[in-house]
Amino acid sequence: MLIFITAVTLSSCQKVINLQLNSTSPQIVIQGNIYNESGPYTVTISKTVDFDQSNAYPPVLGALVIISDDHGTSDTLIEKPKGTYVTSKLRGIAGYTYSLTVKTGNTSFSSSCTMPEAVDIDSLYTETSFMDNKQLSIVFMDRANVENYYRIIEFKNSKKIEGFNVASDDLYKGKKITYKLMSMGNGTDSKISTGDYIIIWLEALDKGAYEYFRTAEQDGSQSASPSNPTSNISNGALGYFNACSVTKKSIIVPK
Amino acid sequence: MLQFYCFVKNQNRIPQHIITYFQKQKYMRKKQYFIFIFFIFILQSIAAQQRFTLSGYIRDARNGEDLIGASITIQELPEKGSVTNAYGFYSITLPAGLYHISAQCLGYQAQVQEVNLKMSVKMDFNLPEKVNELNEVVVTGERKNENITKTQTGMQKLDIKEINSIPVLFGEKDVLKTIQLLPGIKSTGEGSSGFNVRGGAADQNLILLDEATVYNASHLMGFFSVFNSDAIKDVSVYKGNEPSEYGGRLASVLDIKMKDGNDKKFSVNGGIGLISSRLTLEGPLVKDKGSFVISARRTYADMFLKLSKDTNMNSTKLYFYDFNAKANYKINDKNRIFLSGYFGKDAIGISSFGINWGNATGTLRWNHLFSSRLFSNTSLIFSNYNYTINAKIGDEINIISRIQDYGIKQDFQLFSGKEFTLKFGFNSVYHKIIPGAITTKGDIDMKSLTNKHSWENAVYISHQYKFTNKFSMEYGFRVSAFSVIGPGNFYTYDNNGKTIDTSTYTSGQIAKTYIKLEPRATLNYIINQESSVKAAYARNVQNLHLLSNSTSGNPTDLWIPNSNNVKPEIADQVSLGYYRNFSDNLCEFSAEIYYKSMQNQIDYKNGAELNFNENVESQILFGKGRAYGLELFMKKNQGRLNGWISYTLSRTERKFDGINNGSYYPAKQDRTHDISIVGMYEINKKWTLSANWVYNTGNAVTYPSGKYQIDDKTMMLYTNRNANRMPAYHRLDVGATWMVKKTPRFESSWSFSIYNFYGRDNAYTITFRDKENDSTKTEAVLTSLFRFIPSFTYNFKF
Repeated sequence: MLIFITAVTLSSCQKVINLQLNSTSPQIVIQGNIYNESGPYTVTISKTVDFDQSNAYPPVLGALVIISDDHGTSDTLIEKPKGTYVTSKLRGIAGYTYSLTVKTGNTSFSSSCTMPEAVDIDSLYTETSFMDNKQLSIVFMDRANVENYYRIIEFKNSKKIEGFNVASDDLYKGKKITYKLMSMGNGTDSKISTGDYIIIWLEALDKGAYEYFRTAEQDGSQSASPSNPTSNISNGALGYFNACSVTKKSIIVPK
Repeated sequence: MLQFYCFVKNQNRIPQHIITYFQKQKYMRKKQYFIFIFFIFILQSIAAQQRFTLSGYIRDARNGEDLIGASITIQELPEKGSVTNAYGFYSITLPAGLYHISAQCLGYQAQVQEVNLKMSVKMDFNLPEKVNELNEVVVTGERKNENITKTQTGMQKLDIKEINSIPVLFGEKDVLKTIQLLPGIKSTGEGSSGFNVRGGAADQNLILLDEATVYNASHLMGFFSVFNSDAIKDVSVYKGNEPSEYGGRLASVLDIKMKDGNDKKFSVNGGIGLISSRLTLEGPLVKDKGSFVISARRTYADMFLKLSKDTNMNSTKLYFYDFNAKANYKINDKNRIFLSGYFGKDAIGISSFGINWGNATGTLRWNHLFSSRLFSNTSLIFSNYNYTINAKIGDEINIISRIQDYGIKQDFQLFSGKEFTLKFGFNSVYHKIIPGAITTKGDIDMKSLTNKHSWENAVYISHQYKFTNKFSMEYGFRVSAFSVIGPGNFYTYDNNGKTIDTSTYTSGQIAKTYIKLEPRATLNYIINQESSVKAAYARNVQNLHLLSNSTSGNPTDLWIPNSNNVKPEIADQVSLGYYRNFSDNLCEFSAEIYYKSMQNQIDYKNGAELNFNENVESQILFGKGRAYGLELFMKKNQGRLNGWISYTLSRTERKFDGINNGSYYPAKQDRTHDISIVGMYEINKKWTLSANWVYNTGNAVTYPSGKYQIDDKTMMLYTNRNANRMPAYHRLDVGATWMVKKTPRFESSWSFSIYNFYGRDNAYTITFRDKENDSTKTEAVLTSLFRFIPSFTYNFKF
């Protein structure tokens, strides 16, 4: 925020530079989602690359991926191309706890995540904010008596907007929550204009998944000591395993 | 202590019972022995012949301002001398006789008075300012080699006139920007008023304004400091080897004293600049007895925004103002009172989000002379720093955070017969921290973080002693006690940051007390009138810590006191310096080396949540640090061309379990080389040119060492903390001052400057992203803030 103001206030200047960055041995990246909607659900496994290489991440092939729930279902995922593994019989049900195990080579990784109850989006509305930017607000009611964590995903004209938006009910236990999405800066994907078709997903997360997205959101060049997001997967894997309830709502940005 | 106090009061009559009291102590422990040494020195000085005390004040003849650090020399006894204290008071005890007493101060004409000392007398000096530097007559007997002879090391004093002529960003002359040009003191970043001293973090500097702690010295993200140089009289920086009357921070003390105000006549001065203006009024309350000064400053960048037709733009707030005021009154020769205050505020507001913050300080002081040799000052000190965040996110929410100090400080200064001064006193401060309190008009929980209360006490004693004409010493110690008090909850955490125990304390109940002994010593050996060698050791303890995880420092950074989890930070610093003056003290040179070892340093766990977290202490890691370096400084004080060159070669490292496998790594502020060159050239009486050039190695930073993808977003992979370097920083600023008119009644001038004259793209941040036109690749982007920033200011004085 402050950097933004600084940038508005003063004529700052940006340029692309060449930097010699360190390289490191490839690390395992795991990303798995289970929703309260019918499957199949996917887990993708890939590896990191050096900064100066292109954004093509080597898939991890031949891994053994198992997800089981705490009601007796165990699903060994079927390998598809590009390091994608899909479930065949698992169902995402709120209140269930899901355990993920990934074995690749001699290393195994595990995680577990409990799917919270779904929270409906009451309304979406836009208003005009700083420098004629449209700002989108999401209104929903927090569930009382439990700790709740949320992630908001925005699709603009069917394109997913990059980035992580999370909220906790720390200050709003059992109350109405209004979440404002940042939509500042010209030319950025997050800028919305009249006529844009916006879909919002509201994911109810458990604490481990929330910690991942919170630290992923926080991380940035403004931190004096940037670090990798806090993963809920063991053994040093990057990425997350998220069993969440999702609700959706859409809006066409009015004038 | 009481005995000691009586003893001091009655020191002319030798109190035999105290001597025997000390002689009777058969089994003295180490500490007691240390104290005993002080008394020996006192006693030595008392057993002397008929001696009388000459004391008084040295002031500026034009406006009556007390001159701090002015020196008194005796022409008949060249090895004798004294220096005025923070209130312009001096005292010197001599055998009966006829003397010529000379008073001098940098930038003033020396004055000599004759005295036939047959009894203790009071003698004040009013020194006229040196008006014409160009045709300066060298006053013989002037003691210009004070840097050689004074015991203090690792200390820099700034001349306000220097601050005024050095070109700065937006033309706003600034104390904090100027000290960053001195050796061992580095800027935390582009345009920042934050600074690092000898490898210390920005919160390890004690910033005092008339003895009150200033918790956030920045306006507008640090581009301006809170110190309006029109209201300031004296600036001293101690780089870790401060005398024992100071304490509470690891790295340095920046002691800023406000002007007292002109007690001769009413005067006005001010300046009108591009983005801010300032005005100072001063004058006598009662002529020669009391005076006042009021100084105010405000930026008006937001006024231009008001012209905008965009409703969001013209309702945008972006300004700061500050206000300094001080009054003093001399009740009689023995009593004088001072009341000073500072109030400043910043406000930023954009549509539904606003933040404002500011400091307020207040000091009420009472100077009292118990005798011509015992000077006392009692201060009641208040300090407040707070910020308020206002956000309309559906409902309107206000978050308030505050740190508040209520303190009392008592200082005694005993000038004794032989070449020695004894300083002792105590300091007691109650700190109240509100880490975050939420108020709302809407229907949300008003959850607030537990307020933190603490009580900080210290006693100190310091003894300045001249063994021989060549060898002097200042040594002493400080005992600090920091108590964490209720009401409040105190949490115990396991290794994963989970709360395993909560203990609740009631109001005023002491949860934990940390008592630390802080010894300090400085030795000076004068080789000859042109060179000396000094060595120093000091231990400093810090009980309040700033949690900040931003590169530039934010107004919302949180101060936390010691607790059951957070232990006092401790630094031990040794330094050695060589001082040499050239060409009849025209140039001074110094070389200092230091080594500092630090304990209980604070860093954050990866992904730490510092904002509005009741369990913020569970997010912290504790480790140690070390810093060492070489500082070279060459300064030309007088003549048409003057200025300085300073160079620092240094290293600062940290070691934490859990970061970089527990091995030493460079701290953020680690910079190998740091160079500043400052020059001022007076072409003629109308025009003065100035320039400064700075160069430093880039800060240690963490760059990614790889990348991966999550939810279609490119994520950076970080491995080792601070394993990389920002590009080197360098910049040239130029300035000119045009004196339009200068008469005793009216003075006006224009000052012009260009910041970053050759437009270097210095890195403010370096960020990493997908290539704009080719999302299959990534790129590094350098953001720079200021290039060729011109500014001009019109200054006036009448």
